[in-house]
Amino acid sequence: MNTFRIFSFISTGLTFILIFVGGLVRVAGAGMGCPDWPKCFDRWIPPISLEQLPDHIDPAKFNIVLAWIEYSNRLFGAVVGLAITITSYLVLKYYNDIPRIKWPVLIAFFLTLVEGWLGSVLVDTVLNPFTITLHLILALIIVMLLIFAAQESYYYENPNSESKSQYPQGLKWMFGLLAGTLLIEVILGTEIRGGLEMIRKDNPIVDSQFLINMLGPFKYIHSILGFFMTGLSGYLWYCLVRKSKHPSKMMTQTSSLILGLIFIQIFMGELLVFLDVIQLIQLFHMWVASWIIGLVMVQYSAWNQSQLCHE
Amino acid sequence: MNKIIIYITLAVFLLGLGASWVIQKANSSYDIPLVKSVPVFEFKTQDKILFSNKDLMGKITVLDFMFTLCAGPCPVMTNNMTLLYRDYENVDNAQFVSITVDPSNDNEDVLKQYSIANGVNDNRWQFLTSDIDSIKKLKRDGFMLYADELPQGHAIKFILIDQNGKIRKYYDGTDKASMAVLRNDLNKLIKEINK
Repeated sequence: MNTFRIFSFISTGLTFILIFVGGLVRVAGAGMGCPDWPKCFDRWIPPISLEQLPDHIDPAKFNIVLAWIEYSNRLFGAVVGLAITITSYLVLKYYNDIPRIKWPVLIAFFLTLVEGWLGSVLVDTVLNPFTITLHLILALIIVMLLIFAAQESYYYENPNSESKSQYPQGLKWMFGLLAGTLLIEVILGTEIRGGLEMIRKDNPIVDSQFLINMLGPFKYIHSILGFFMTGLSGYLWYCLVRKSKHPSKMMTQTSSLILGLIFIQIFMGELLVFLDVIQLIQLFHMWVASWIIGLVMVQYSAWNQSQLCHE
Repeated sequence: MNKIIIYITLAVFLLGLGASWVIQKANSSYDIPLVKSVPVFEFKTQDKILFSNKDLMGKITVLDFMFTLCAGPCPVMTNNMTLLYRDYENVDNAQFVSITVDPSNDNEDVLKQYSIANGVNDNRWQFLTSDIDSIKKLKRDGFMLYADELPQGHAIKFILIDQNGKIRKYYDGTDKASMAVLRNDLNKLIKEINK
């Protein structure tokens, strides 16, 4: 494995963990744990006691647990930023003349900077719901770009890895549709969460179960699209595993994994609706969605490589 | 391959374990302190009705000190209080109290005008007045806030008081993020009395 691919894997893995940590900040309600940005209570190391708070900051805002949860997201974000910067340097060094590898990494690098800036906007606007959603969507796009670049560099070095496999043609729009639906699902999902918070603000005494019913149509569209995706990824699995000749191991495993994860998602979603809004399940529901998006990228790249081999 | 799956499963499991610990920590970090009881007082509202510390019982109260002619931080504070008053329209056991620090100007009638101008149409938001010495005493000794140079030198704090008339926490009444914290705490206390 070359250095670029090692770093693109590290960047991808770290970004996935960062998405998890970001979701943790969200479900723990720690988004305003640090009321300023990039410092936390005007300190590079967040305060551990009230005495360390500067005079101009209202002590009511200080909650040591929330401050450190939020700050760990920022620190980890900085680590990911560093990893993506190194990956960008390596892509320019090794693949400067391969646009399909170079540009995804450079765009990911740019989006990482945007993510940092969005973090400051979130603090300024006291967690504007639209910005929260955008913050997550950009992270998912970064993951997709990094995965695509890593896999394309692999195919660049090993062009024959999908040469035996023959997949049905014309599936490109199907992958696009699946990825698009997934992103819409994530947006709807975060809107459900945001909507819950909005209603809760006006009805602080009502419990979550009742609130979810008040969301009505949002919830149904989220569920309907979920079943639509199950059909779509089931059909893709059928095309890529059953209907194709000599599918690669990567392809069969990825396709099956996507389908399995979608079933897990439906299960977790129903648990949230029928049981209760459990924070840990909320977190994993969002995180597994990010895995699926990454895996669809792997699936598409493998299919695309096979098509190129047979041109 | 099998080894990778085991590692990933283990990592996910550990992340889940860590996350549930953090979530539990966060949930229990919202405890609101208990400062002290609000002392005895008896003031008059904008409707010329007596309002005493007993009227704090059984309800969650957000209280501030202001005066109607104040041009500094008060408009921001009043605006924040108005938002709370509107958003908690359906919550019977939340009330809002503003005490004037300029009783020479802010008599009941002036406060009534001021309350109407701020859209107050029920008794969930009371404006109180009294003589300056009682107000000073309540502010300084009761709420432990600076009260030497009234009316200009009044505090910009919003004070959260629970259903037992106990002071729980102070918030910067001009700060957006502090208001978000106040709402969380307020919701928590309201939920507790509804249990």
